[in-house]
Amino acid sequence: MRAFLLKIEPLIWLMFGQGILIGTMLLTGWILVVGLLIPLGMVDASALSYDRAYALATASLFGVIPVGKLVLAALLVLPLWKGAHHVRSLHVDFGGAERDGIVGMLLYGVALVGSIVGILAVVGL
Amino acid sequence: MADKTIVITRFDPDKDQAPRKQEYKVPCEPDWKVLDAINFIKDELDGSVAHRWSCRMAVCGSCGMMVNGEPKLTCKTSINDYGDRVDIEPLANFPIVRDLVVDLDGFMHKFQSVKPWIIRAKEKAADPIAARAALHPVKGTYSQSADQLATFKQFSMCINCMLCYAACPVVANEPEFLGPAAIALGHRYNMDSRDEGQGERNEIFRGEGTVFSCSYANECSEVCPKNVDPAAAVNQAKFGAVIDWAKNLVLPRGGA
Repeated sequence: MRAFLLKIEPLIWLMFGQGILIGTMLLTGWILVVGLLIPLGMVDASALSYDRAYALATASLFGVIPVGKLVLAALLVLPLWKGAHHVRSLHVDFGGAERDGIVGMLLYGVALVGSIVGILAVVGL
Repeated sequence: MADKTIVITRFDPDKDQAPRKQEYKVPCEPDWKVLDAINFIKDELDGSVAHRWSCRMAVCGSCGMMVNGEPKLTCKTSINDYGDRVDIEPLANFPIVRDLVVDLDGFMHKFQSVKPWIIRAKEKAADPIAARAALHPVKGTYSQSADQLATFKQFSMCINCMLCYAACPVVANEPEFLGPAAIALGHRYNMDSRDEGQGERNEIFRGEGTVFSCSYANECSEVCPKNVDPAAAVNQAKFGAVIDWAKNLVLPRGGA
């Protein structure tokens, strides 16, 4: 199993890297708006009303490129792989190197299932 | 002048089953480094203590030891930064040969495995004018701009002191892990504008126990006495290996 993980490692690392990028850039902004600015009344809560959020999620460029859905899918999928990869590294650091194969497969399995569910949900919007 | 208790790890493979501790009272001068205290013990108190050192100015990389549990270059660390009791042990994550001396064989092997030399498909032909002036065949030279040098200069400043290996949690778990300094060295050649061996090294970097075993602890860069920042090198090497992997996927024969 470790040999298989090693083979797909470049791909996982790529998603992990993009997951960090998205997690730090977009999710920080999200937490800032939802966690601070709206409760403090600095941003009108209706800015995140269902209609507006739905319009943003289904927005498309030139009527063909579904930008909203692409961003939403990336937001759902990439941090999952980032989390799985980080937890796997943490597990190895805490002395789990010999169980790394099975733990890695489990974590990436969860990320894969979550990705499929997330993409299906976004496509079905 | 302050008396300090220096605790040295002693190990004689002929007599000892396991490393033991021995205490020495050392009158430390205000300007002393940790290495001065160890040299005082060796010269004045107990000639049987074994330790490595050479230049005393942080360029030879011989005197790395654990000082109060942290990997330090002992010639660069003031003894008076510590309290009355200073614990000195051989570098962690390495087999002990004797007292404070560790076995370097595994490390040297890792160093060679990243092909730390300039690889070229073909040597450049000699510049005919230079060849005539030298009156004998000379190899061509490879000029490099300041910008090209700057991309890897930092990674070439490593003095092989191995502090990063003693600090790395991945080396502690997997002794076969290629490790920070060796990856930084390989990456240094990958970044060199004169080098053409990126493909070979990236293939090594995608193997087991190399760049992707790194778990981003950043401890190597914390302890590096020459500010090489090996953690940056490892993560840049990951990116290089990934891009190379993607290129091979799209163009399996290098686009040929």
